[in-house]
Amino acid sequence: MTASMRIASVRLLSKTRHYFSSEVAVQPGARTVHHQPASTRFVFTSVRCNVCLIPVAFLHKGRAYGTQSSSVTVTEEPDLLFQKLSVLVKSHDKAVLDSYEFFATLAAKELGLTLAKVFEPPKNIERLTLLKSVHIFKKHRVQYEMRTHYRCIEISRITGSTSRVYLEYIQRNLPEGVAMEVTKTAIEKVPDHIQMPLWSVQSQEKQGSQ
Amino acid sequence: MAIYQDSIRVQDCFGTLHKRAGPSPPAVSFPVGRAAYSLGLTASNGVERQGLPERGNQGQRRQRRAVEPRTERMTVDQDWTAVYPTAASFKPNSVPLPVRMGYPVKRGVPPAKKGNLELIKIPNFLHLTPEAIKKHCEALKPFCTEWPAALDSDAKCEEHFPIQVESKAYVSAGPSLRNPNARIITLTVKLSSLNLDEHARKKLIRLSGERYNKDTDTLTITTDSCPMKQQNYDYAMYLLTVLYHESWKTEAWEKEKTRADMEEYVWEDSPSQKNILETLLRMRPLGEKEEEGEVREELLGRVEVQEYKDSVTKLKNEGETETNMQQYKEAVKKLLNI
Repeated sequence: MTASMRIASVRLLSKTRHYFSSEVAVQPGARTVHHQPASTRFVFTSVRCNVCLIPVAFLHKGRAYGTQSSSVTVTEEPDLLFQKLSVLVKSHDKAVLDSYEFFATLAAKELGLTLAKVFEPPKNIERLTLLKSVHIFKKHRVQYEMRTHYRCIEISRITGSTSRVYLEYIQRNLPEGVAMEVTKTAIEKVPDHIQMPLWSVQSQEKQGSQ
Repeated sequence: MAIYQDSIRVQDCFGTLHKRAGPSPPAVSFPVGRAAYSLGLTASNGVERQGLPERGNQGQRRQRRAVEPRTERMTVDQDWTAVYPTAASFKPNSVPLPVRMGYPVKRGVPPAKKGNLELIKIPNFLHLTPEAIKKHCEALKPFCTEWPAALDSDAKCEEHFPIQVESKAYVSAGPSLRNPNARIITLTVKLSSLNLDEHARKKLIRLSGERYNKDTDTLTITTDSCPMKQQNYDYAMYLLTVLYHESWKTEAWEKEKTRADMEEYVWEDSPSQKNILETLLRMRPLGEKEEEGEVREELLGRVEVQEYKDSVTKLKNEGETETNMQQYKEAVKKLLNI
């Protein structure tokens, strides 16, 4: 990176939806900051949303819903950054998972997320053998099995607010008989109290000489 | 109500009975003189009840007329999101598709959609057509924030944000929403990104024990001792802080570190150095009497001796490989003028 390069430090500001307020929607301002040779500062602020207050049935009704007072306000709070978001869905029915995968991938594309990997981990079959009869007849058994199919959708480089929106949308539309496991890998800076040692070599020498 | 109309009779306070509608079974009645009434409860039911329940126009239970299904009135370019805005079960009269589902009987076809339980049982995605998904996403876009453009590669993320915190969340149906595995936090950090000197780095590696991976130079701290996720995260950060600051401290007993405790092989003051110096001293022609210290310094400063030192250190630290052995051979040959 040369000194002449501008690094756009996107100031992502927190957005809260007020259900019954009549404030005008405030868009987040993306400020460009000149490159500082010492360090580049990234300030990210989060987006909070209460989508649960608005029933999904109203989402398709554009104008009728828009007249209801709802706004996106921006507040200051550092936003989380996720290097990877892995969504693993499990079900007994493979067809349901196929449809769900189509839905989740299309939703991710529409929201502008980068899909790193979409794959199908091998299925897991749990079998058990039981006696067929209530009493005696040991030679006659019955076998049952439980098949668990998996599907994994990995999204890379997503912010905390977007992940919250995406996950809530995905989870609300989770079909019957499907379970989900979400693995989030957040990235953070080294906190201030670990930057400099409390007991450095010089101070110890001073203590030793005293 | 048709059943009781002919059974209920009311007596006024003077005890005069009104005329009965028709022959009916004997009913319970109270003695005359009081405001008496008879209940419609009869001893025997059904057989002697007059008439059948009324049908047709006068009956309060009307027959539902078969209305044409909604699918007949649907156009090809209709707004499907209005038909299925939310998740709902399959309604054959609302879905204009000739779907068939089920196991066919002999020489038959799968049953049609009308009254088909198999179609109702399965989860359907009729409310999540691509058009509906796009509409939903359009509405959700104002709440999303963009990923900063400057962090477009993993290397840059690592450089500016070295600590990685991994956590899991679970969604499933059951008696409880909570999953105890959701409290586990895994914190990963590369030691190269922390402010450590040589002694601090070695001490930190010793303190962390199994949590340090030498190949990738990462320290992994997994916490699950607290009941809440936030508590486990705080505990993990606390452990990292403590490890860091403790590794900078030098205790009094650390001076007693012996050769056996060293993590790496150090050539200075080792038997190898003593041997080579002795050998080289003996190789010198007799008669030259010089200071011991000066001779040693001079010998150590020679290029061949340095090469020999490098090869021995490599052999001891990295193990015996082809290249290492070759290097050792060359160094020895040069030293002893073979």
